[in-house]
Amino acid sequence: MMRVPISWLREYVSFDTPVEEVARRLVFTSCEVDRIVHRGVVDRDGNFGLFRVGHVLAAGKHPNADRLQLCQVDVGEGGPRQIVCGAWNFGPGATVAVALPGALLPGADAPLREARLRGELSQGMILSEAELEVGLDHSGILVLGDGLEPGTPLADVLPLGEAVLEIETLFNRPDLTSIYGIAREVAALTGGELSAPPGSDPPLADEEPVAVEVQDLEGCPRYVGRLLRDVRVDGSPAWLKGRLVAAGMRPVSNVVDVTNYVMLALGNPLHAFDQARLADGRIVVRRARSGETLQTLDGTLRQLLPSDLLIADAERAVAIAGIMGGEESEVRPQTTEVLLESANFDPLTVLRTSRRLRLRTESSTRWEKGVDPHAAEGAAVYATQLLAELAGARWTGATDVRGALPERPVVRLEPALAESSTGMSFPASEQRSRLEQLGFEVSDELDVTVPTWRARDVTRPVDLVEEVARFRMEDVPATLPTRKAMFGQLTREQRLRRLVEDVLAGAGFFEAYTWTLVPAGEGKVSLQEPYSAEMAALRRDLEQGLHESARRNANAGVERIDLFEIAHVFRDSDGELPDERWHVAGITNGGYFRAKGAVETLYAALHLEPSFAAGGARSARTPDGVLRELADGWGFFELELDSLFARVPDVPLYRDVITYPALKQDLAFVVDERVRAGEMVGAARDAAGPELRVIAPFDVYRGDQVGKGRKSIAFRVEFQSPERTLSDEDAAQLRRRIVEALAERFGAELRGSA
Amino acid sequence: MRENHAGRLAAVDPATIETQALGAIAAASSEAELAEARVRYLGRRSELKQALRHVRDRETGLALNTLKNRVEQALEERASELEETALAASSRDDHFDPTLPGEAVPRGGLHLITQLRRRIEDVFLGLGYRVFDGPEADTVYNNFEALATPEAHPSRSPTDTFYLDDGVVLRTHTSPSQIRAMREQEPPIYVVSLGRVYRRDTLDATHTPVFHQVEALAIDRHITLADLRGTVEHFASAVLGGQHEVRMRTSFFPFTEPSVEFDVTCYLCGGAGCTACGHSGWIEMGGAGVVDPAVLEAVGYDPEAWQGFAFGLGIDRIAFLRHGLPDLRLFWENDIRFLSQF
Repeated sequence: MMRVPISWLREYVSFDTPVEEVARRLVFTSCEVDRIVHRGVVDRDGNFGLFRVGHVLAAGKHPNADRLQLCQVDVGEGGPRQIVCGAWNFGPGATVAVALPGALLPGADAPLREARLRGELSQGMILSEAELEVGLDHSGILVLGDGLEPGTPLADVLPLGEAVLEIETLFNRPDLTSIYGIAREVAALTGGELSAPPGSDPPLADEEPVAVEVQDLEGCPRYVGRLLRDVRVDGSPAWLKGRLVAAGMRPVSNVVDVTNYVMLALGNPLHAFDQARLADGRIVVRRARSGETLQTLDGTLRQLLPSDLLIADAERAVAIAGIMGGEESEVRPQTTEVLLESANFDPLTVLRTSRRLRLRTESSTRWEKGVDPHAAEGAAVYATQLLAELAGARWTGATDVRGALPERPVVRLEPALAESSTGMSFPASEQRSRLEQLGFEVSDELDVTVPTWRARDVTRPVDLVEEVARFRMEDVPATLPTRKAMFGQLTREQRLRRLVEDVLAGAGFFEAYTWTLVPAGEGKVSLQEPYSAEMAALRRDLEQGLHESARRNANAGVERIDLFEIAHVFRDSDGELPDERWHVAGITNGGYFRAKGAVETLYAALHLEPSFAAGGARSARTPDGVLRELADGWGFFELELDSLFARVPDVPLYRDVITYPALKQDLAFVVDERVRAGEMVGAARDAAGPELRVIAPFDVYRGDQVGKGRKSIAFRVEFQSPERTLSDEDAAQLRRRIVEALAERFGAELRGSA
Repeated sequence: MRENHAGRLAAVDPATIETQALGAIAAASSEAELAEARVRYLGRRSELKQALRHVRDRETGLALNTLKNRVEQALEERASELEETALAASSRDDHFDPTLPGEAVPRGGLHLITQLRRRIEDVFLGLGYRVFDGPEADTVYNNFEALATPEAHPSRSPTDTFYLDDGVVLRTHTSPSQIRAMREQEPPIYVVSLGRVYRRDTLDATHTPVFHQVEALAIDRHITLADLRGTVEHFASAVLGGQHEVRMRTSFFPFTEPSVEFDVTCYLCGGAGCTACGHSGWIEMGGAGVVDPAVLEAVGYDPEAWQGFAFGLGIDRIAFLRHGLPDLRLFWENDIRFLSQF
């Protein structure tokens, strides 16, 4: 996320449009604006006027309190004010920030009042940077630079309080990851005037050589190095700290703060090395040697690979390029010589190393999106200027090592393309002026030269369309395509899938969604990197997920549990992709036969004659899958949809079961316990042929009358012909065929007469 | 004949008819008997009706009509008396309590996501799109490369995407199905794909590593960004119901140029601002754009001749917000007390 303090933005672009409107336009054209945050002192009802620069005329111990100072402070009112203060990091002569009575401090509920503290009148408050929210330091009060006139509004000296835009930039817009980049966009949005980028070189005090060797120009197409001497490392001035804090960064020291400040301002990350700690004072940009390590600034020892790009000195690594510096060469309070790095790094190189190390920084997130290599020099200039101003540095040497920097693309502007792409009229003159506002150069022949900061993203005529269309998003009308061909129908499989869902829902089953990812195991396709032990591979079937869901319901005390799921399952295959199929499965606490009832209903709805063969223990197979009684007595089924659907008739044809009456009979057979009813049904059908329209087992009896190890199965039978009325003799003959067949195959004995 | 009639009619005595009719009505003890009396005294062939048909003078007419009204009234009164008696009799029947619950019929139902999925499918079927199902495990080529996704794009990182091997991922969006659909069919093409997609998000109340997306693709001769907006506006009102303002803003996707994001006025607060919309009044609906010529080239379509749009969004989030769910994990726990609410 980028934080854009408005005062900083206004330094680069002037605009009258209200901030809220600027934010709204940015949302439509450029980036997401999450919110506008107000920070620091509230600028309302003259509140800003109550914060002044003060000059401490006298200071001494409070007569009644050892820890307090009693100060006389000139705030430009003629006479001094008496202020009681708890800090001791200043004395007479200090320039300080003062809040007068009536001032509303950041985060305060009520205004400041005159008060007596231990018997002494206090007519205001001397402030710390934390109290002003311009820094994080609350150990002492904020001491301002000398030379400020007492009574000067504090708002003229530091960012007292302001709105900050919180922005999410888009992947293709690395140019917006800087305040100046946003300013360029705001100028185009508001017609405001854009200032030249900040920074101008101080005089070069010497011509010392700067030893920079780039061994890998692909990974590092550019390296601007500058040498600075007589550097005084200290804290940064209040305005600088205030801006860093407002932008979400932590002030460290003037040198480090300048590198961060310039990165935020211009988008090019910088690094400052303690020159004295570089072996031979040299910089070598190279890939890591195998086994090489570096202790980074965050105190972590990093193992490096030959794919990682490094900044090294003559001997060892001193930074992971574009990601983080090393502890060894970091700028510290006693540093006096600085080697300033303003380089350009290849996005993919930084990205790969940053991903591998799981180390993302303000710097790496900019590099991985692609920073304009032409920005390196401007960033070096601005940083040099600030180091001279704020750290008293003398600039004594410079180098600019570079490979072939990319050419600025030249793209043909095709004005008609924007119209045919957006569906609204788009005058060429408008397109042209829009592009020019954004820094594109447009020739009379409509050849567009893309600015360096957009060179990665804008390379084709359609990219120019986006550049102009994004400013007109709110104007795009709503129309519908004019059609010459229609495709609005479901496929057979899709219709049948809906049917399966509806039939099972109608049968009382609720549809469940369970995870695709399951624990790894035999025959399962595994993830390269597991999500967790429970989610490490792709499921082969739907049983586990449904079983878990059913158990969760049982534990929750749900009484009737019937769940089904339709989803993909995966198996290893010899092909490029896993073998992926649709399955349907169901689970019920109503037992095996409730599951089977659902499956039979499903087959009937699909116009399929079900056939069940006994499978293993307490299970059966159909041509399309399995039915099982699970260990806890629950019923379960799982079928493969392709197999099921392959046999579904496209058009069920009429069968005459109405014209001629059916003859109904019940038949009971005594058979050995091991004989399965389903087998008897099959055999009866084979023997009797199509005139046996219905045969359905309806009762199983075991007991003394049939003998041990035997059972009696009763079948309801219907004989019917589509061509004629069957006579009693016909029925008797059909029945005889059944009885004979069952007797022959299973030793079945017909019991009494039905 | 006339004389005959007249002679017979003269014999009609309203008073007698009235006495007989009212007597019979009062004596009727069932609806059937009452219906019999109605036919006899007011039916087409009844003495009264016959007489009425042949009335010659006003006085007789008035008398007969008054009689008719009286009989009708008596019939009505008796009918409601009989009804009340029957009702009273049945409610004295202690063995039948009509307020007891009906015989339990097991009720199942479709998952909330399936319900929404079908609604979306139906909207696009109505717009003349076909529904295309692609595999959930797809090639890196289909998922990223054919969609012009640069290698540096964060979505390609193994920290974001589930890789099965270096060349195969669990699809991170439904877009690879569009690539397959385009390779399978010459333009024009109007296709919508729905299904599971996978991202390595931490499982919590608002993120699940598996979720559902829908993506529509239209490629034809003259498709524009305006057609996209019209389609999305129709989609929003058809799927969310009611009137919704839709806004379109610039975004970035590797496979569209220009790229846009659609927001819809918050369907909970109507745009006033609430926690669901982060007090902005808008809810992000989905990403879209004009299909990048590079994508058309990757599937062998001529970008000079064909142009189109693609539009995708997450189904779970819509259902989540629309039905006021507190936690996305409810979709995956399959608690029947939850499932049976929808």
